[in-house]
Amino acid sequence: MSSKVVLKTKGKSTKGSKPSDDKSTSKILKEWSTWTMKKAKVITHYGFIPLVIFIGMNSEPKPSISQLLSPI
Amino acid sequence: MATHIPPPATPSPAAEPTKPEKVDYFDLPCPIPYEEIHREAMMSLKPEHFEGMRFDFTKGLNQKFSLSHSVVMGPTEVPSQSAETIKIPTANYEFGANFIDPKLMLFGRILTDGRLSARVKCDLSENLTMKANAQLTNEPHMSHGMFNFDYKGSDYRTQLQLGNGGLIGASYIQSVTPHLSLGGEVFWAGQHRKSGLGYAARYNTDKMVASGQIASTGMVVLGYVQKVSEKVSLATDMMYNYMSRDVTASFGYDYILRQCRLRGKIDSNGCTSAFLEERLNMGLNFILSAEIDHKKKDYKFGFGMTVGE
Repeated sequence: MSSKVVLKTKGKSTKGSKPSDDKSTSKILKEWSTWTMKKAKVITHYGFIPLVIFIGMNSEPKPSISQLLSPI
Repeated sequence: MATHIPPPATPSPAAEPTKPEKVDYFDLPCPIPYEEIHREAMMSLKPEHFEGMRFDFTKGLNQKFSLSHSVVMGPTEVPSQSAETIKIPTANYEFGANFIDPKLMLFGRILTDGRLSARVKCDLSENLTMKANAQLTNEPHMSHGMFNFDYKGSDYRTQLQLGNGGLIGASYIQSVTPHLSLGGEVFWAGQHRKSGLGYAARYNTDKMVASGQIASTGMVVLGYVQKVSEKVSLATDMMYNYMSRDVTASFGYDYILRQCRLRGKIDSNGCTSAFLEERLNMGLNFILSAEIDHKKKDYKFGFGMTVGE
């Protein structure tokens, strides 16, 4: 009977230690890459058109702000 | 003596074709990029048809930088389960900014509902080009992005594609003779766990272009374009899916005249369509689009105006 108890606790302890080992490399990497992809998507969504306008306004010959806003 | 016929010993350009030129197989021209292998057939047979009214205004601030405003009003199709097409009238305003430089091209368009479509093309070196393409929406899981790296050699091109959803693709095309180029591609879609292989061939002379493509997804596309004269081209293409046994063949014409460009086609699905772009004045274009689907009884007519270069 004592051997049975020992086996049970061994089983439980191995099950308990597995999730913490898995979380180390691949899961953390996946979480980070998903986080960066989400942030990159939001940045691109809001920032792409302003970036194009910024690069365009600083190219030669420099256009003026009034040309940017007026409909002519 | 002014009417004296020149002696036949002087070689005239008309006499050249009778003597076949010696082909230098180490000096072949660079082939067309793999994704543009059906370029002439696509340009002649698939203009951008639309329904409703379209108004585009492009304002150039600079040689390289321009802004565009576009208003589209009309019914748009909504995918539905039944055989009938459901159309919902929508009106959209789209703002766009373009920056075009020999080394860098940026193209961005944003709609009123928040959908952004962006394209970037950057020459990292003389032969290596990076292209990126993204369609971003506010809805989750509906955004797509793709990066392409192209390398251009003296008579070949290779491309590597990386897309979201774990899409990886590579393609290679090589000029085999001055007129014939052959290529292949392979791709792997991670999310759907699908992989595919494809081959393509293109034969072109000054007067005609014949292209063919076959892919392991079951798609076979063949196209042929004949340039009948400077102003007229005739094109035909056939798309066949050997998995679903679905075939579509179409035949069309493309008239490029001084003041207008008229493209018309008829399809084996019972669909006839035409697209006219008329140049009214410098920078002012009038567009008419018509698509009549006799089988589905779907009639689409559109008109529009484009202002600006």
